[in-house]
Amino acid sequence: MKNRFFLVVATVAAVALMTSCGKVPQANIDAANASIDSAKTVQADIYLPGQFTALNDSMTVIMQSIEAQKSKLFKSYKAPKAKLIALKAQASQVATSAVAKKEEVKKEAEAGLTAVKQLLADDQALLAKAPRGKEGKAVLDEIKGELSVIETSINDAQTAFDGGANYMVVVDKVKAANDSLTGIKTELDDAIAKVHKRK
Amino acid sequence: MKRYWIKILVTVVFICIIISGLGWLFVKLIPDPPLKELEEARVAISDARNHNSVIYSARIFKESRSFYDSAMIAWKTENKRFILFRDYERVRKFAVLSEKKAAEATKRTIAKANDMKANLSQDLSRLNEEVNTFQKIFSSVPLPQEMKKKNAKGKLLLKEAQIAYDKGQYVSGNVKISEAGEYIVESYDCARSKLSDYFRSYQKWQDWARTTINESKQNNSYAIIVEKVPGLCHVYYNGVRKYTFDAEFGENWMGDKMTRGDDATPEGRYRITKKLQNGSTQYYKALMINYPNEQDLAEFRRRISSGSIPSNAKIGDLIEIHGEGGKGGNWTKGCIALTNSDIDTLFRLVPNGTPVTIIGSSSPLNQIMSAN
Repeated sequence: MKNRFFLVVATVAAVALMTSCGKVPQANIDAANASIDSAKTVQADIYLPGQFTALNDSMTVIMQSIEAQKSKLFKSYKAPKAKLIALKAQASQVATSAVAKKEEVKKEAEAGLTAVKQLLADDQALLAKAPRGKEGKAVLDEIKGELSVIETSINDAQTAFDGGANYMVVVDKVKAANDSLTGIKTELDDAIAKVHKRK
Repeated sequence: MKRYWIKILVTVVFICIIISGLGWLFVKLIPDPPLKELEEARVAISDARNHNSVIYSARIFKESRSFYDSAMIAWKTENKRFILFRDYERVRKFAVLSEKKAAEATKRTIAKANDMKANLSQDLSRLNEEVNTFQKIFSSVPLPQEMKKKNAKGKLLLKEAQIAYDKGQYVSGNVKISEAGEYIVESYDCARSKLSDYFRSYQKWQDWARTTINESKQNNSYAIIVEKVPGLCHVYYNGVRKYTFDAEFGENWMGDKMTRGDDATPEGRYRITKKLQNGSTQYYKALMINYPNEQDLAEFRRRISSGSIPSNAKIGDLIEIHGEGGKGGNWTKGCIALTNSDIDTLFRLVPNGTPVTIIGSSSPLNQIMSAN
């Protein structure tokens, strides 16, 4: 009777030992995936592409290690589980950083838009003052046309900004407009300075 | 009793050996999943992604991902079967295919990105050079506003393409440069074709100018040559150039005058018919010329009969060299405008009957283009 009792206890202990760590941490997988999805929702793939890719890479590694455990006779999901918990935290961190980065780029785009609009206004004011000497009118008409095209581009950038689109694209558009306007400003400043020198 | 225990011990050891042997055999029979191949596939995909294969070799990269997913699905399916009945061969095949495709995607991406970078760099240099060399002359060619806007759009896109290049975004850079190229090339081609059409009369202009200068030499008299492209009015005496003034013309200055109100300045050989001043002209002082002359009238009739101008069109008149110029650009209704001080000088020098020859240019087009 005593021997039988020990046999049952030993069997239960062996089964418990073999199955205690053998459950796929599905809740942790779902939580990590949800956290990665949240990071994508806040456009981490756009504003922190390197970090977002690293999250996905880590998830792939973990899923591979989980499957590797499933292939074994004695399964243990302790390590993948710990990694999933860490990944979830990391994904949350990336999401937070992406929000901050987006805000930073947004501010940069906003400041760029303000600056470029001011530069456009400055150029338009300079255009009115520019000398209309020989070849002047044709060149000024040319500049006027260019300013109008740049103004349209700035308005497009403003619309994209207001729509909350990819602020990095807005920053690039603003930079191109800024470069063109700076070139025109230099041209107009030079022309005005030459006239003042002659006087 | 002792023998009994020895017997038990031997039996237990024997059973343990049998169980261990069976256990060892069981473990040995469990098939191994292709962990190495799967890891290699994963690393290759990650590498391809880091090289931007998603953008440059999208199709192959997608195939590589699909093979990897298939490998994972096959692995999961096999893992659901009884441990001894699992077969990971399909998993291995998919993993190997995935790794190969990912490596191919990376290789192609590197080649494609290098090509795109080189092409973009070449196109940027070519278009920037085009803009730098042609922009000045382009400004003076009377083109439709739409064409000028296209040129400005092209130049802005060129800047955006440069920013994309600096950031290593060769795909969007190539899209932008191609759009910029279309706008810039279209507008410059339009201007070039207009200029080269215009310069078909170059030989005729040279003949007129030579005849006029010879006449001044033979008669020991003054002659005026007006060049529209550089915007100059030259005064000759005895066949020698004495003065050169800046001149302005009609807004639609390129080409001959066709009809009244076309804002074009005529081209041909004329003479001063009347000198106007003291309120008889609204442009300070003026030298009226005999436009339209007989050739102009004949040409006007030919154009009407050929249908190149409407049958009810009227020929222009009252073409003058007058003052109030120096405004910049071309603004007259077809006359030639000088500054008041220049018209003063000219007015003093030239009498009625002085030849006035109006031409496009005394220099050939290629010389003008290279000078710009």
